[in-house]
Amino acid sequence: MTAPLDIRPARSPFNFQRFVGQVGTRLKRLIPPTVAILIFLIVWQLLTMGPDANLPSPVRTVQDTWELIINPFFDNGGTDKGLFWQVLSSLQRVAIGFTLAAITGVGLGILVGTSSLMYSALDPLFQILRTVPPLAWLPISLAALQQANPSAIFVIFITAIWPIIINTTEGVRQIPQDYTNVARVLRLSKSQYFFKILFPATVPYIFTGLRIGIGLSWLAIVAAEMLIGGVGIGFFIWDAWNSSRISDIIIAIIYVGIVGLLLDRLIVFVGTLVLPEEQKQ
Amino acid sequence: MAVFVEVDHVDRVFKLPDGGEYIALKNIDLQIHKGEFVSLVGHSGCGKSTLLNILSGLDQPSAGGIVLEGRQVTDPGPDRMVVFQNYSLLPWLTVRENIALAVDRVMQKHPKPVRDRMIDHHIDMVGLQKAAYKRPGQISGGMKQRVAIARALAIRPKLLLLDEPFGALDALTRGGLQEQLMKICQENEVTCIMVTHDVDEALLLSDRIVLMTNGPEAHVGQIVDVPFPRPRERMEVVKHPNYYSLRNEIVYFLNQQKRVKIQKAKPAAAVAANGLEKVNLELGFIPLIDCAPLVVAKEKGLFEANGLSQVTLNREPSWNAIAEGVTSKRLDAAMMVAGMPLGITLGYGNQRPMPMVSALTLSRNGNAITFGKRLFDQGVRSLADFKASLDRRPDQVHTLAAVHPTSMHNLLLRYWLASGGIDPDRDVSVTMIPPAQMVSTLKAGSIDGYCVGEPWNVRAVQEDVGVVMAIDNDIWSGHIEKVLGVTEAWANQYPKTHVALVKALLEACEYCDDRRNREEIANLLARPEYVGADEAYIRQGFIDPYDRGDGSEPVAVPNYIQFYTGKANCPDVAEVVWLMTQMARWGVTPFPRNWLAVAERVTRPDIFGEAARQLGLIDIGRDRHTTQLFDGVVFDPDEPLKYLDQFAIKRDIRIEEVPMDAMAAV
Amino acid sequence: MQTLNTRTQPQSTMPATQEPFLLIDNLSKVYPTLNGDFVVLDGIDLAVNEGEFVCVIGHSGCGKSTMLDMVAGFRQPTEGEVRLETVPIREPGPDRMVVFQNYSLLPWLTAYENIYLGVNSVFPNKPEAAKKHIVMEHLEMVGLADVANKKPGALSGGMKQRVCIARALALRPKVLILDEPFGALDPITREELQEELLKIWRDHQITVLMITHDIDEALFLSDRIVMMTNGPAAKIGEIMQVPFERPRTRARIMEDPRFYELRNEALDFLYHRYAHDDT
Repeated sequence: MTAPLDIRPARSPFNFQRFVGQVGTRLKRLIPPTVAILIFLIVWQLLTMGPDANLPSPVRTVQDTWELIINPFFDNGGTDKGLFWQVLSSLQRVAIGFTLAAITGVGLGILVGTSSLMYSALDPLFQILRTVPPLAWLPISLAALQQANPSAIFVIFITAIWPIIINTTEGVRQIPQDYTNVARVLRLSKSQYFFKILFPATVPYIFTGLRIGIGLSWLAIVAAEMLIGGVGIGFFIWDAWNSSRISDIIIAIIYVGIVGLLLDRLIVFVGTLVLPEEQKQ
Repeated sequence: MAVFVEVDHVDRVFKLPDGGEYIALKNIDLQIHKGEFVSLVGHSGCGKSTLLNILSGLDQPSAGGIVLEGRQVTDPGPDRMVVFQNYSLLPWLTVRENIALAVDRVMQKHPKPVRDRMIDHHIDMVGLQKAAYKRPGQISGGMKQRVAIARALAIRPKLLLLDEPFGALDALTRGGLQEQLMKICQENEVTCIMVTHDVDEALLLSDRIVLMTNGPEAHVGQIVDVPFPRPRERMEVVKHPNYYSLRNEIVYFLNQQKRVKIQKAKPAAAVAANGLEKVNLELGFIPLIDCAPLVVAKEKGLFEANGLSQVTLNREPSWNAIAEGVTSKRLDAAMMVAGMPLGITLGYGNQRPMPMVSALTLSRNGNAITFGKRLFDQGVRSLADFKASLDRRPDQVHTLAAVHPTSMHNLLLRYWLASGGIDPDRDVSVTMIPPAQMVSTLKAGSIDGYCVGEPWNVRAVQEDVGVVMAIDNDIWSGHIEKVLGVTEAWANQYPKTHVALVKALLEACEYCDDRRNREEIANLLARPEYVGADEAYIRQGFIDPYDRGDGSEPVAVPNYIQFYTGKANCPDVAEVVWLMTQMARWGVTPFPRNWLAVAERVTRPDIFGEAARQLGLIDIGRDRHTTQLFDGVVFDPDEPLKYLDQFAIKRDIRIEEVPMDAMAAV
Repeated sequence: MQTLNTRTQPQSTMPATQEPFLLIDNLSKVYPTLNGDFVVLDGIDLAVNEGEFVCVIGHSGCGKSTMLDMVAGFRQPTEGEVRLETVPIREPGPDRMVVFQNYSLLPWLTAYENIYLGVNSVFPNKPEAAKKHIVMEHLEMVGLADVANKKPGALSGGMKQRVCIARALALRPKVLILDEPFGALDPITREELQEELLKIWRDHQITVLMITHDIDEALFLSDRIVMMTNGPAAKIGEIMQVPFERPRTRARIMEDPRFYELRNEALDFLYHRYAHDDT
């Protein structure tokens, strides 16, 4: 095929018409999801209107949890804290566990990816371990660490690390032969090879791993906290169930979902800062 | 010139997962000089990229080695920079950073400003100033490859290796880049080795083209020297008289490789029948009027009548293809130019000698020397006029063409020129072009004249691009022209078949010289599978009066082509000795000290005699006699060296002992 | 041998009143941009006779694909029009089939199913057996009956392109449009496919418009070569008549002195008069 014709307009400083147009299209895109949410709420409301419904209706939920919604920052000591504090302490655990997993995972991944001996030795092990459900690690970590909080962090770590390792390894192994050949012909030193070729070539894979990892961590923390107690969104849900505050559960779930989405977007955003133009896709 | 890079008997064997081996390269031996541009051409899978990887050090040979400036290379290094087909630019670095990466690494010892200048200089060199801060993803494929070339040259490699550098670009985009690469290489005097499968690209850029055979066990099949003067310009190159003959030679080689692949699947075994060792024969011919005996033998059933029930005629594109076909056993036998059996036996053109024999002369006469209309319009009417015009304008280079170094066309053209005081190598240049390209090359103005068989002189006259200056009958009437050639090994293996083949063709020759059959033969020759020319072109000289195109009335030329009459057919040792003297005179082959033994080995009147006896033809042997051409110099076949002494214009004559017995053992 | 040439008579010998089979009439294509109009094609006139094989050659970006897109009906001309048998072309249709360089086969369907898909949508009312017959007939035509049940992933590049040609021809188009169909193939496969295409063209008596970058390919295949000037505002620079007798064989053409003259003329046009600078 012939090359596409270059008919892109030159970038003009500011074009009001285009700006308005862009805002318009953005707004238009918001319409379908808004409608979908509305329909969902209506169906929910209709299904739970009856007096003997097991679950609260949306209106009811908001009424029940109004205190929680309008004041996420209260702190009555113990585990009786606002949703902000609950989410924050969960996020702290995730932050520590995930950071450890990212550092160790990328390091191990590069090591395993560059050595075919390590790869053939360790890859099967990784493949087995990554299928272990996060909560299965909890008893082991409790037995080993004896404390609730480090155990929860360990569960985050062990959950997030496998996709990071596996993707990094894959990234290193997928470096095009050409780039390696260039390095060999130029006789690049080990550090130059690492920083100029290996690392940039692997970055897209690393970020894929990080994205999967953060998602899994957030899944794991909610479950782990239900078991270990203390402040945290997971235990908040468990506590609410034990006290039959179904509306609280629903509002907590919405918080969990939104935070999970934000975490995912955050990694993508960091990725766009780091990744070169051509490799974003 | 000293050897710069030496590829020393390199083998490359790959271990297969099933425990077997794949021999990719076998015994590659190649010397490359400093500043030379060499292309490796072959089909995909012929191992040319493997060879390039070995040169770069990215891959290791299983045997043999690479020597660069006297030192063996075993690992990759910046002195042998590679330009890969898919550019291999780092997509996260800008154009400038990509080049800087290489320069900063390799030129560490230079201060930063020097390196920066170096980088900018090379960006300028490939004309990418505007794109210096773009990333590879933002520029076109052609631009990417220019970055790769700039990066490679910026680190001043001793050897530039290009692996199908333009293979990913469309055929037309390649053009500009090829010219740019050529210019850069010229200016920087870089030694380059390029892998390509684009024949035009190889011809434009290279000094030598190495043709690789197909794998497994790929090896160097042929090395083609590219004689175009530098600096080169594409349109000048394609208009060079040898451009299309070289191109066709390479294309022919590649097609041959393709065919070999198919042939390997079904080897043609000898079919013995009718009391003959082999009746399935592949015969080669060139579409010229003097292929008539082969056509007649085929069409009139003379092969069958002599027991050869499965004869196939193969229309070949050039005399080189004929020589290659017979020596590689693809063809059993072929119509050859007169000097070819002798030439192959003596190893003309630095080829490996292989003993050949001829037991039949197929035709005599039938050639002419044609000059372009331009020379005629400048008043050149005769050899003397031509000499005078050369003397008047010594600065002008005139190029004349013949079809093959060992052909009568070459030898007669040179004899004719030399007899007029014109040195065919110094005063003009004589080049080799296949017959079919003569008229177009003359029309394009790349050559000024040629000597060739018909219908190519007639055609030039009819198209009003040329004028016939001399026909054979003016120079040496009744000279040997085309012969039947086979390898000596073939003749020894299939003696009865050989006699049958000579019988069939001898009968055909007799048929051709019966004037009553000429109309029918002209009709046969005009068919597309044979000469495929307009019958009007074929008739001239063959049947009708011959028009020289100089304004004179067409005249009937007796014996314009002679197939049988005048005892035309018996191979004649004396004629072979004459060919020997002329080929030695022009440096085509050495003159054998044991000339008589060689001539008698090549010439097989015994086989001819047996065939004639079986046909009941008597007294058609050649009489022993002296010969003289139009200039009156007498040739005595017993005194060939004395004959050579008489010529004022000649090359240094190499006299060498040719060990015939050792050769036959090969 | 030469009788086939009768249908490639130059247009001038046709009666003036009769419109040619396919007429590209003063065709222009302009893309409006914020910086003013971008003229891709500027006034293309070309008459193609029925059964003719025309190659279009020109540098990248000369708008030759845009031109064939307008013949195919994928894009609309800014000015002028394309008429097939006097009917203006407004949209794509099965009477003009296109074969692309990148195969465009559906990877989850077999070769047979890929062709069947088109046959079924163009001839929905034919009986099942007839549709099946059409598919198999065209697979046989390109020598791929054996691999009818293979998916594109299991086929080589040359085989995929054969399937594409079979798919296009199975719909019995009046015009076959080929957009550099063999550009991605290795030289040997390319030559094989060229020979096959020529045979199919002869057997089907179909009109072919083909884009190529390969001068040898154009000389081997076509009756006329349309050489385009460089874009923007590309025009037809020159139309070269290719006089070789049909049926053609490569070896015969290489022996013809006119081959070298035409080749040099085309090289001169593309590398000299309209050289392309890739910046």
